[in-house]
Amino acid sequence: MTFNIHGGYLEAIVRGYRSGLLTASDYNNLCQCETLEDIKMHLSATEYGPYLQNEPSPLHTTTIVEKCTLKLVDEYKHMLTQATEPLSTFLEYITYGHMIDNVVLIVTGTLHERDVQELLEKCHPLGMFDSIATLAVAQNMRELYRLVLVDTPLAPYFSECITSEDLDDMNIEIMRNTLYKAYLEDFYRFCQKLGGATAEIMSDILAFEADRRAVNITINSIGTELTRDDCRKLYSNFGLLYPYGHEELAVCEDIDQVRSVMEKYPPYQSIFSKLSYGESQMLDKAFYEEEVKRLCLAFEQQFHYGVFFAYMRLREQEIRNMMWISECVAQNQKSRVHDSVVFIF
Amino acid sequence: MESSENGRESNEGISVKEENILNFLDSVDGYLILMDSLSSTLRQGWLELASARHSMGASRINSTLFDLKLHPASTTLQVNDQSAAPDRELPHFTLCKWASSNNPEKYFEEAKFGEVELLKKSNSLRHRDISHNSEIQARSPESVGSPVTVDDQAEKERYKSLSMFGTLVSPKLRASQLSFETALEMLVEVSNMRASLLCAHDQVQKDMETATK
Repeated sequence: MTFNIHGGYLEAIVRGYRSGLLTASDYNNLCQCETLEDIKMHLSATEYGPYLQNEPSPLHTTTIVEKCTLKLVDEYKHMLTQATEPLSTFLEYITYGHMIDNVVLIVTGTLHERDVQELLEKCHPLGMFDSIATLAVAQNMRELYRLVLVDTPLAPYFSECITSEDLDDMNIEIMRNTLYKAYLEDFYRFCQKLGGATAEIMSDILAFEADRRAVNITINSIGTELTRDDCRKLYSNFGLLYPYGHEELAVCEDIDQVRSVMEKYPPYQSIFSKLSYGESQMLDKAFYEEEVKRLCLAFEQQFHYGVFFAYMRLREQEIRNMMWISECVAQNQKSRVHDSVVFIF
Repeated sequence: MESSENGRESNEGISVKEENILNFLDSVDGYLILMDSLSSTLRQGWLELASARHSMGASRINSTLFDLKLHPASTTLQVNDQSAAPDRELPHFTLCKWASSNNPEKYFEEAKFGEVELLKKSNSLRHRDISHNSEIQARSPESVGSPVTVDDQAEKERYKSLSMFGTLVSPKLRASQLSFETALEMLVEVSNMRASLLCAHDQVQKDMETATK
């Protein structure tokens, strides 16, 4: 009843933003482009036009992705500055995933003796914070926490992975996934506390995210030195697969075993039915399609915060589509363009 | 009698020249086929890399993550001394793949075009290490050099070289790595084929000069 007092304006704004998402007709035009300049020309008629119009030739695929991301960042910042509690906290939660990615990027790059400035340029703008450059001086996780992260929103997530071990590739990977697990669980609890339609819709979306991460961690860890116990520790403590599905996933040794676990859960049967046996190439696309379906459903109800999360994720999917189309055009592989494009409408 | 011997010798000379021309044409054909295969393998590798970037995200796959620390090359090229062994069967270049910096013995694999394990584009995933230990099992001295050991070593070196992108990487990135690895072997084959082609060309040139004299 009282949602519109504090959230009505921003819900209207985000629904307006949603109407600016690219349609199937836009994607058909983009998929027929011969060069990146053609893509720029087609995008000039969309909301991305002002962001790309001053870019000089020759264009690169990374430039298109950067400029599309800038638009998303501008929209997010507009919403954040207008938001009051608890919506402002909700919007901040959306960026913590990018913050984790940026932290890991800086730490990994520093481990490989890269220049900090180069690394900062590659960070996602939604995940930036003031002391991020100081990450480069940390030698282990304790220092990482003490010097930098204690004053960031990621601080509470570090309690599960603080050790004095030096940072190496495996420890960084475990840190990445442990942080993300803690973030997802925290976000889930926050949404439950908000209650109402927000809790209902966000629970479904976040549970799907947790399950997808569990599947990806399992598949990516096959053949690596990550033990079953370590793998199990990286799965989130919620979701459809928790806890029995996680137990079964942890012992999987190939994609077919993962498939047989997932097919016991009706929502995931349709995803795995699209794949042939032994094949995992189309799994990402199948998951993205399912995610887009759930995100679009969030807009069917009013007076909840799920629309903000759904919009941000749909824009990110759109940027992924743009990246894929640009790569296929740049590499002269237009026949493969539909391998990974996920239509939103 | 002399004319029949001369006729026989000239017939033999002509058949040798024809054989040289056929060798040259075969070399050209083989070279063009290899170049075409190399081009399509590289295209596949680049697309798989883009697919991995699409899957894992731009923050996990980008050029700034390449390792700038000094480390020994995992693959080297050996140039064979042709003057020491004029046998034309000996390739000019040999690829030495996945030489481990941790192991005092090197594992040599000659680049063989058509080698099934490497040309096969692996869409199926590798199997998890069935050991319950998180530590790598020590290799026993007597197993060094066995085919299974070489494969394990190659697998470990492959994972090591991808570690700059993280330990848990998408199968698409591993597929891309295999494609570029195959392309590297093809490059060596192309170089060897080109050397044979130039040899055959020189032989044909000599035959033509002899014929015109």
